[in-house]
Amino acid sequence: MKTVAFNLMPYKDLPADFEKKYDSVWVSIPRTLYDPRKGHEYYHDYLDALETAVDLGYDAVGVNEHHSNGYGLMPSPNLMASILSRKVRHSDTTSLVVLGNSLALYNPPIRVAEEMAMLDVLSAGKFIAGFPVGTSMDTNYVYGINPSEMRERYYEAHDLVMKAWTTDEVFTWNGKYNQLRYVNTWPRTAQRPHPPVWIPGGGSVETYDFSLLNDYSFSYLSFFGHKYAKKVMGPFWDRADALGKDRNPYRAGYAQFICVSETDAQAQIDYEEHVKYFFAKCMHIDPRFFEAPGYRTVASLRAGLRSQLDGTAKVGKAILDEGFGWKELVESGYIIAGSPETVREQIIEAARELHVGNLIWLFHCGSMPQHLTLKNLHLFAEGVLPHIRNLWPEWDHRPFWPSGFGDSTPDARRSAA
Amino acid sequence: MAQPTTHTYQVNARLAFDTLEAGRGEPLLFLHGAGGLAWDPFLDALAERRRVIAPFLPGTSKSNDISQVRDLWDLVLCYHDLLDALRIDRADVVGHSMGGMIACEVAACDPSRVGRLIAIAPAGLFDINDPMPDIFAMRSAELAERVLVDPKSPLAEMLGAMPDDVDEQVEVLIQRLSTLNAAAKFLWPIPDKGLIRRLPRIKASTLIVWGRQDGLIPVGYGETFRSLIPNARLKVLDQASHLVQLERMPDVLELTWAALAGPAGEAP
Repeated sequence: MKTVAFNLMPYKDLPADFEKKYDSVWVSIPRTLYDPRKGHEYYHDYLDALETAVDLGYDAVGVNEHHSNGYGLMPSPNLMASILSRKVRHSDTTSLVVLGNSLALYNPPIRVAEEMAMLDVLSAGKFIAGFPVGTSMDTNYVYGINPSEMRERYYEAHDLVMKAWTTDEVFTWNGKYNQLRYVNTWPRTAQRPHPPVWIPGGGSVETYDFSLLNDYSFSYLSFFGHKYAKKVMGPFWDRADALGKDRNPYRAGYAQFICVSETDAQAQIDYEEHVKYFFAKCMHIDPRFFEAPGYRTVASLRAGLRSQLDGTAKVGKAILDEGFGWKELVESGYIIAGSPETVREQIIEAARELHVGNLIWLFHCGSMPQHLTLKNLHLFAEGVLPHIRNLWPEWDHRPFWPSGFGDSTPDARRSAA
Repeated sequence: MAQPTTHTYQVNARLAFDTLEAGRGEPLLFLHGAGGLAWDPFLDALAERRRVIAPFLPGTSKSNDISQVRDLWDLVLCYHDLLDALRIDRADVVGHSMGGMIACEVAACDPSRVGRLIAIAPAGLFDINDPMPDIFAMRSAELAERVLVDPKSPLAEMLGAMPDDVDEQVEVLIQRLSTLNAAAKFLWPIPDKGLIRRLPRIKASTLIVWGRQDGLIPVGYGETFRSLIPNARLKVLDQASHLVQLERMPDVLELTWAALAGPAGEAP
């Protein structure tokens, strides 16, 4: 298994009464709550932590994109990734993941082709390109993209970026949303024909199929852990079977909060307050912004509605609303926490259950101070990482991971084996 | 209440319109708002004197597919194609909310095609100093409070009634959501798509009706419509919100009949 040390970069000092006093951590979060001096400190602490992860030999470091969001302070993850590339380029083990750029938000989308090519060149071909469809909060409410156009814009931007990466002649693009007379993206990517592509997403069949048919790796990004992820990864692998794709676990990843301490009891002492901060404040999202009309198709609405109406669907946020403690968070799998032994056993069990090769490890949670972040990174590297690396010895990760300068087609990656 | 019949018109190579129709006499088009099309007492009363033709917005009924309509410009042309399919040279049109916006767009696009226009609390403008609330980030309870002066009235109960059966509930909600999905395509993120520049093109004799307590589209927008449409009159009714045609039905009907009795193309 491959471990991506992944950081959302939350704001750590939201007021104690935040979730009572304000409507939402996202879209409408009051701007006055942001203190730039603290923001300065966070950015550099978070970057220090990610650089430490490179030193400790994690398989990748990862960042992502959010807008008007109190738990994700990276409107531009590429800025952060460019800083990290300075360290990644010297590493033998660590790749750089931007998970990712919401394609529908870039105008024109060749901006993504350009910036990601820069990151690929900067990192010496160790870059992984993430293309999320995007949440309704970021895409529709903050960036104003019409929900009825969102997927179309996403697919068109994807096709344009891929063509820009794989075409060595100047070409013309006549799309519905983008018309460009001269597409000629400089720089070229370091990996040829392009960096590996990962698709972070939620539970939509369209996204499973898109990932599988293109041989991209699908990453299920939720904050609700491995038990919840089963609802998505089961159907994902069913689609893989239906589409005749192999069950290479590196076709998939999932996100998980994991907190390591000396003992299980110490983990609670260390992390409880900070984990609760995340679930109480960072998951305090105004439901009016959950889903713009048209974000989901009528067909998938129909599928979801019935279980909402008859009361069988009570998951994720709804469970949190009923109150939760450390015990519940651990038992329901929202977090994996404890001694290195406890943690690695649970990770292995979860990864086998979900059949995933890429662990998107959320190593920082909520209000965790820097010393705990570093403790978590060190204890995981010493006591967990070596035990989970060889979880899938029979499977080849290379079709979905960076290859450095030169030919990186899945076939070329395989034949280089 | 009259039982409307359903009809389907293939208006061009890509799109079919479904309609609800009832009544006899001269045709009268009714374009519904973002709440969707339901055969309500107002339509029923209109059908006592006219042949009411109420098309479903594309994407909100079985025959048509919203993805076949590219944008607002395309939508407006599809409504012109519908007039052709109905063989109506010059239409009388009643439009509510988003339907009022579409009616204004159709009338501005080809002013010869709309003779009389009754726009009830039409969408299509946005005043940054008097902004309408975000209908796409609103809970259903809040919406109900905003569109009616009295959200506890029998009318509110009638509008909010839900079937007991879960399957039927799913269908009601799907209908609401798909209507909102389709509406968002043309109104996202705010409904100003340049109509203010086109309003002066309208030649139809135009009646604008507004509820003084409209909680969705502020009553002040009515004066902007009136001042920019050459042959327009504005009537503001008290004790009414956004569903003014139901809240003050006898008065709106009286105004409507008077407007439809006047000569087309002159101020009513």
